[in-house]
Amino acid sequence: MSGAGDREAVFPTRQSLGVMKAKLKGAETGHSLLKRKSEALTKRFREITRRIDEAKRKMGRVMQIASLSLAEVTYAVGGNIGYQIQESAKSARFRIRARQENVSGVLLPAFEAYLTEGNNDFAMTGLGKGGQQVQRCRETYARAVEALVELASLQTAFVILDEVIKVVNRRVNAIEHVIIPRTENTIKYINSELDELDREEFYRLKKVASKKQRDTAATDAEVKSKKDRLAALEEETGSNGPADLLAAEEDEDVIF
Amino acid sequence: MASQADYRDRQFLAVIGDEDSVTGLLLAGIGHVTPPPDNQKNFLVVDAKTDTAAIEAAFDRFTSERKDIGIVLINQHVADRIRNRIDTYTQAFPAVLEIPSKDHPYDPEKDSVLRRVRRLFGE
Amino acid sequence: MEGLLFNVNNGYIEGIVRGYRNGLLTGTNYANMTQCETIDDLKLQLGPAYGDFLASLPPNPSTSSLAAKATDKLVSEFRYVRANAVGSLARFMDYVTYGYMIDNVALLITGTLHERDTRELLERCHPLGWFETMPVLCVATNIEELYNSVLIETPLAPYFKGSLSHQDLDELNIEIVRNTLYKNYLEDFYRFVNSHPDMAGTPTAEVMSELLEFEADRRAINITLNSFGTELSKADRKKLYPNFGRLYPEGTLMLSRADDFEGVRLAVEGVADYKAFFDAAGLGGGPAGPGNLAGGAGPEGRSLEDMFYQKEMEIAKSAFTRQFTYAIVYAWVKLREQEIRNITWIAECIAQKQKERINNYISVF
Repeated sequence: MSGAGDREAVFPTRQSLGVMKAKLKGAETGHSLLKRKSEALTKRFREITRRIDEAKRKMGRVMQIASLSLAEVTYAVGGNIGYQIQESAKSARFRIRARQENVSGVLLPAFEAYLTEGNNDFAMTGLGKGGQQVQRCRETYARAVEALVELASLQTAFVILDEVIKVVNRRVNAIEHVIIPRTENTIKYINSELDELDREEFYRLKKVASKKQRDTAATDAEVKSKKDRLAALEEETGSNGPADLLAAEEDEDVIF
Repeated sequence: MASQADYRDRQFLAVIGDEDSVTGLLLAGIGHVTPPPDNQKNFLVVDAKTDTAAIEAAFDRFTSERKDIGIVLINQHVADRIRNRIDTYTQAFPAVLEIPSKDHPYDPEKDSVLRRVRRLFGE
Repeated sequence: MEGLLFNVNNGYIEGIVRGYRNGLLTGTNYANMTQCETIDDLKLQLGPAYGDFLASLPPNPSTSSLAAKATDKLVSEFRYVRANAVGSLARFMDYVTYGYMIDNVALLITGTLHERDTRELLERCHPLGWFETMPVLCVATNIEELYNSVLIETPLAPYFKGSLSHQDLDELNIEIVRNTLYKNYLEDFYRFVNSHPDMAGTPTAEVMSELLEFEADRRAINITLNSFGTELSKADRKKLYPNFGRLYPEGTLMLSRADDFEGVRLAVEGVADYKAFFDAAGLGGGPAGPGNLAGGAGPEGRSLEDMFYQKEMEIAKSAFTRQFTYAIVYAWVKLREQEIRNITWIAECIAQKQKERINNYISVF
């Protein structure tokens, strides 16, 4: 049996029994708490997973609309503006801020998009031709990027939660399948050892008692033979009562 | 978690993709070039001629070297070229997001995160 | 009178270009194209017109490669015509290419400013705007060198002279440089068609004036509308308006003072065509109106730019009703350009599966 060997190395004393009992109690409380945490996280996790699935599908659509609006720009400008855009990019207008959200003690980051004021690298793009489309395209893409940022938050949450849930579940399982059985084993072991000791003690006491009895019996016999002899002597003298009383008292003592 | 300490500095997005995707995202205003002398860009245009090594280098730069990037957007067809890197990437920061491109419609089957989602639900 | 000798030098060219014009896609072609489900279908529909050029494309090509191939056709046809042109028509055709050159030069300037390897930019240049000394531009490593030794050698040099110094290239936004060049170019082209002895007083001058005036007005209006909310000052803006056109001078003056969409509308009030555009666009909310902020023009409302394109195409189409004129070359290039844009748009709509707006193309035949 695995349980027989798997126990903590403690001396089977009453004190360590107390310690183990406290430990078991702690482990059980911890287990139920962690279990609840894991359940809460899993609930959240499932929700996030579902939303990711949805958002990823939605993203395909959003990006399609955005690239169509870029096509519109190409149409209106009558050429490719890619290079110019790449070269005139200087400072990000669209930035993200990371924020944290607390889910059952786990800090989940969430990205939040914001636009910085007063920097506009592409205001002049398409000045002569297609400027309106360029501006419209920027807005469409900005909205698309917002959706992407949201998706990224979900995804980060997904990765972190995945990790945390794994850790929590590992702990729950460790407590459930290792720590609790082992503590219980230890308690059982201590108990059995203590019982053993008890039995040994009892046996010893019994031995002591029987030896004592034997000794007393021997003494009694001796005393009795002495008495008998004395009685025989006294018989001759006549007095009987007090000697009988004494003998009775002696008997009781031995039984006790 | 060690990465949580620096999440506050992460305020930019980075993009690796084909010209149209990059142009569009830059139009949205995510483009950022760090001041000289580095002149580091947070975007990379990939076309048929771009080396896979260059993509990997950019990916590594955005994900591990730079500490100011919070989200890396990468075209799915580009991600396919460095699929192994993407699949083994598990950090939370920066988040790597696969996006569709104009000429390559989005295929949820290939997405590394969606595949993990699938696996978790045992589908 | 001008018809007497026109055909001596230019009859062949005119015949060719009219032939090309008949090869342009018609409304029926477009209607068929919009029914396509895939790019391959579209390729098939384009077969008769573009067959040779599309043959090398892989199955289901990207829209950009489709557009590139369509442009190739225009370029090769243009080069053929140009090779056969003589005298003033040859010069006229060079003028047509200057517009593309401006875009190319702007691209190269951007590249030089950012210290990029300009060689790889050459392939991004529009082939019509190619000029012999263009690869030389790549030699320049800084903007001063570019200005002093290289740009001077290009056909665009006169447009730089007097209005842009090399410091300007460094400091001004490339869009301002581009639009300054374009303004100078339009003015020069206008002067050319109206003063060259072969053209002044002929139908060429007449038709080209109309086309160029329209182009000038369109640019002026667009620049004004697009400059709202940017750091472009009114004085600088005024410098970008070409000094001719139907709006010039009163309309342009008013444009230079306009602060909003309403101001632009007042400025163009004097020209019936533009007024009609603005009235139509005004209903759908102008560029500053709420309609456009919602992103994407509504399916019913055509944007101002669409109407301008439509108008341009109509003018170009009517150019073919005239005889003995160079203007048909210009008109043909513009029509073909629009056709490429239409094809790209339709291909894009098909590729993105967004059929609801597929009919936004402009067809005049």
